[in-house]
Amino acid sequence: MTPLLAVENLRVAYLDRAGARTAVGGVSFAIEPGEIVALVGESGSGKSSVGLAIMGLLPDHARVAPGGAVRFEGRDLLATPEPQLRDIRGRRIGMVFQEPAAALNPVMRVGDQVAEVAIVHGERSTAAARARAVEMLNRVGLPDAERRYRAWPHELSGGMRQRVMLAIALLLRPALVIADEPTSALDVTVQAQVLRLLLELQRESGTAVLLITHDLGVVAETCSRALVMRGGQVVESAAVDDLFHAPQHAYTRELLAAMPRLERGP
Amino acid sequence: MTRPEADTADTGHGPLVSVRGLRVAHRAAGFGGRPVTAVEDVSFDIGRGETFALVGESGCGKTTTARALLRLIDASAGTLRYDGRDLAALRGEALRRQRRRMQIVFQDPYTSLNPWHTVGDIVGEGLIVHGLARGDAAAARVGALLDEVGLPRDYVTRRPRDLSGGERQRVAIARALAVDPEFLVLDEAVSALDVTTQAQVLALIARLRDARHLTCLFIAHNLAVVQQVATTVAVMYRGRIVEQAPAHGLFARPRHPYTRALLDAVPVSDPRDRHTRVDLPPDAGAAPEPGCPFHPRCPHPAKDATCRAAAPPLQELEPGHLVACTKVTAAGL
Repeated sequence: MTPLLAVENLRVAYLDRAGARTAVGGVSFAIEPGEIVALVGESGSGKSSVGLAIMGLLPDHARVAPGGAVRFEGRDLLATPEPQLRDIRGRRIGMVFQEPAAALNPVMRVGDQVAEVAIVHGERSTAAARARAVEMLNRVGLPDAERRYRAWPHELSGGMRQRVMLAIALLLRPALVIADEPTSALDVTVQAQVLRLLLELQRESGTAVLLITHDLGVVAETCSRALVMRGGQVVESAAVDDLFHAPQHAYTRELLAAMPRLERGP
Repeated sequence: MTRPEADTADTGHGPLVSVRGLRVAHRAAGFGGRPVTAVEDVSFDIGRGETFALVGESGCGKTTTARALLRLIDASAGTLRYDGRDLAALRGEALRRQRRRMQIVFQDPYTSLNPWHTVGDIVGEGLIVHGLARGDAAAARVGALLDEVGLPRDYVTRRPRDLSGGERQRVAIARALAVDPEFLVLDEAVSALDVTTQAQVLALIARLRDARHLTCLFIAHNLAVVQQVATTVAVMYRGRIVEQAPAHGLFARPRHPYTRALLDAVPVSDPRDRHTRVDLPPDAGAAPEPGCPFHPRCPHPAKDATCRAAAPPLQELEPGHLVACTKVTAAGL
């Protein structure tokens, strides 16, 4: 089977006054359809840059070195012009970020932001787009979705805003969702709900997920495979069970040792 | 260095910190903002040398409680005693001397340190302000503090922007310890740090606490972190303490339905421990009056009309283990 996504020798550098600073130094990995893969690392490891590079959303002062490729559904995204990338984003690749408050438009009703995705990607009827948005908002468990369609982002809690982001990301049943710290800003009970929802939707629609996170608990909870990044390199790639029970790289062992573990009662 | 002298005789005995019936209400932001009760009827004691943890999700009132205790904000009702003295009665010089005894480390070392000041200025400021040391003596003291928190002495000339997150938090800890406090509030002090750094700073805090015999109020949302350092844990929900117990008892046998849901929601640390969770309804937001603050979401099977009638008081189930749930206390579970 050809993988859904194949990242080959991806290198990203950021230009600043001092010159070029390498953030990603030659990363390769693949994701199969329907798989949930974690990209784990601490701040500065380059994990978010990998996600942004796949989506073509790196900031202007970033440079992707030639010689690499991001193969997705038969084309190299690094060589795809922006108008076609824009079509792929949203339709084939969904995105969820840490801060839904920053990712949502503050002066647009949340329901319209979901419906807009359908319209931008070819839905002609406004009424149909709205109906799809309400249906999706219901599916992501937004309480009282019909009424909250007309809410502004600031009227919703962080958990509800992240549900709206999930609705936007999953509306067009993309083949891949890239979720960058999707639950890091959420309270622990809300995090549990959002992760479960992500898993349910993933199971229903067969969407693959690249979950970018610093939290090994989130990895243990949701992923089937994990890539550990440090200093712009993938230092270990393994099935999650192997990663937790037989870590090979010293840094993975260090991360696992530092992970706060809750000792539960009997 | 000597501690500031107490001005009344009724000190040195009993808990270091005693909070009774604390209430903090303020107006919501914006024109015509409605009054919001952030903390309601909160009572607890912190014994000398104890590390008392306040845990709960955002908006539960844990930080507000700490700020009222430090007199950074005003309480609407209740009494706050420190070493037997009423904190609310302190004014001017007496309040200034009291502040030396209680210090705080904030969550975000990026915003809580003045970016224009050097590490030496930041750590030494308290010494000058409280007249504890000047000149060479102050510099020597700052050097010793940097040793204590594990930073090289030549960091005195650096500024916060030259430091990593973990190094900044070490500076914030050195600043708090500079005036030789006996009570330290740690408000999400390790929450913003990377996991390997977090473990190091947490170990540092535990070491300093033991070496200096500090009494701590530890505020955190990460229960696994709390478990590592706390002696007593109080769980807050919507402004009230719903359960309080010695740390081992709380984690081994959580009783309140909210505490159980909170612990249950913590991600597993081993993929082999994945399990199905209690389905807690999303927080719909409206404050339920006058009932139990948790009743709209409560999964307890015996939940009934009495839960909507009044907020249950904290009752002692076994020594030191308090629970605010009539269903739990009635069953004696």
